Amino acid sequence: MTIERFLNNSATSWMAGEGEHADIVMSTRIRLARNLTGFRFPLSFTENEALQVDQAISSVLLDAEAELESTFSYIDIKEVSTLNRQVLVEKHLISPKLANSEIVGSVLLSNDESVSVMINEEDHIRIQCIYPGLQFHEAWRQADKIDDILEKQLPYAFDEQFGYLTSCPTNTGTGLRASVMMHLPALTMTNQMNRIVTAITRLGMVVRGIYGEGSEALGNIYQMSNQTTLGKSEEDILTDLQSVTEQIIKKEREARAALIHTRPNVLEDRLYRSLGVLTYARLLTTEEAGRCLSDVRLGIDLGLIKGVKVAILNECMMFMQPGFLQKYAGVPLQLEERDVFRAKLFRERLQVNNNIDDEGEEIHDV
Amino acid sequence: MICENCKQRPTKVTVTQILNGEQVQRHYCDVCAQDFHPFHLDLQDPLSLHQLLSNWFGIPENQQLQQKQQTEAISCSSCEWTFRQFLKQGKFGCAHCYESFHEQLPEVFKKLHNGNVKHVGKAPSTFGQTLKLKRQIESVRTLMRTAIEIENFEEAALLRDEARALEEQLQSGGENRDDN
Repeated sequence: MTIERFLNNSATSWMAGEGEHADIVMSTRIRLARNLTGFRFPLSFTENEALQVDQAISSVLLDAEAELESTFSYIDIKEVSTLNRQVLVEKHLISPKLANSEIVGSVLLSNDESVSVMINEEDHIRIQCIYPGLQFHEAWRQADKIDDILEKQLPYAFDEQFGYLTSCPTNTGTGLRASVMMHLPALTMTNQMNRIVTAITRLGMVVRGIYGEGSEALGNIYQMSNQTTLGKSEEDILTDLQSVTEQIIKKEREARAALIHTRPNVLEDRLYRSLGVLTYARLLTTEEAGRCLSDVRLGIDLGLIKGVKVAILNECMMFMQPGFLQKYAGVPLQLEERDVFRAKLFRERLQVNNNIDDEGEEIHDV
Repeated sequence: MICENCKQRPTKVTVTQILNGEQVQRHYCDVCAQDFHPFHLDLQDPLSLHQLLSNWFGIPENQQLQQKQQTEAISCSSCEWTFRQFLKQGKFGCAHCYESFHEQLPEVFKKLHNGNVKHVGKAPSTFGQTLKLKRQIESVRTLMRTAIEIENFEEAALLRDEARALEEQLQSGGENRDDN
């Protein structure tokens, strides 16, 4: 099956800008880790075992298309080029780990890109569901349903005491990692994030920048997820995350209100400068693009900037990443060439948006 | 030249960075330069799980040394990984490792999961029936103990009977159950 459609389309379901609190919570993700009995984990199994695991899982899922009301495309990671793998990672459809895999591994992607089931990543099965906005329970229901379909046909590695047995001891138990991606510019600007991160860590949750551990929060986008998977039910994990997320949303809204109340001119100046940079710059680094996108998004949310669509910003956020940029350019780009090309794409996209108020045309097909 | 970061104040500091073998120069004003961290190292894994695990088990006190070496040499019969290897990689080689290292694991999980060592969430439906009964019995017993504590013996007797009935159900229904 072709993977081109997944690669060429920079818009993906979780970026729809819909769902509850979509101005602050960009997406909700649920991930379940599962393994089959009778086969060693991908870290230590043979290629023959890998093949059997792959066939068993993919055939069950492909047979369940009707039940899931969705069509799945099977992609063997071996057959995907390095650049295309990077694009799939940038869209959050596969993990960096699967992208780096040299021998085994595949992914089943639903056509709307909201479900991806990775096979033979770190565990035999990784079910991932991404929904736009704050939708923990909806995303969980979907992942749970796929899990039910698989468990009916496949013998899971499960233990009464330890729950679902996973390769990494940090996933043992429920195998559930639930996360939200949040845009928190006002909390960042008012220097409240450090305090919040510390408080959240005490509650057994983790906050980090979207591009993984250690990275600074590019574009003021943070990802929060549960850390504990053992000794807490799925329902409790999700309810706790939901309530902390709601508190953060409340704090962010308060900080936004305070900003606009105390220094309206300074704030408006900053946000419009950023719009200017995105619309006219000739060189744009990832950091600057991320920061300016955050400002413009805040401007739209506060009603200060009008005439720019959030959908365009989401698209820019996606294609400002190195993999996408090079995919559009059609050739590998050096660091500075990337900054030039990034600036050009932003100009085109934002000016198209200003001149024609029509969402049809896609300028970036290669 | 104005500062790259704030775009308002004049440049005072120039920082040269090597990123992926390419030289990048950044120009900042004195205010923004303070927030810039030139010594940020781009490490893949700042403090990885396997390091943490090794440290917890790696205190080489003389008395414990021998015992520690014995523990670390335990190996899994299915994937042949040793406990030492598990600590080093921070990962299990196969599902059977959980049984092979059963004695050591509660300590590991306590540290990783806030003191928790027992799963309480979803279970595959094949395990679900018996597991559900067991949990039900556990919770009825807890209620029974509370009833006794507050000297509500009538209630406690009722709960005891309920627990017994559930146990019988468990035994008749769980005969051909294959644990693990």
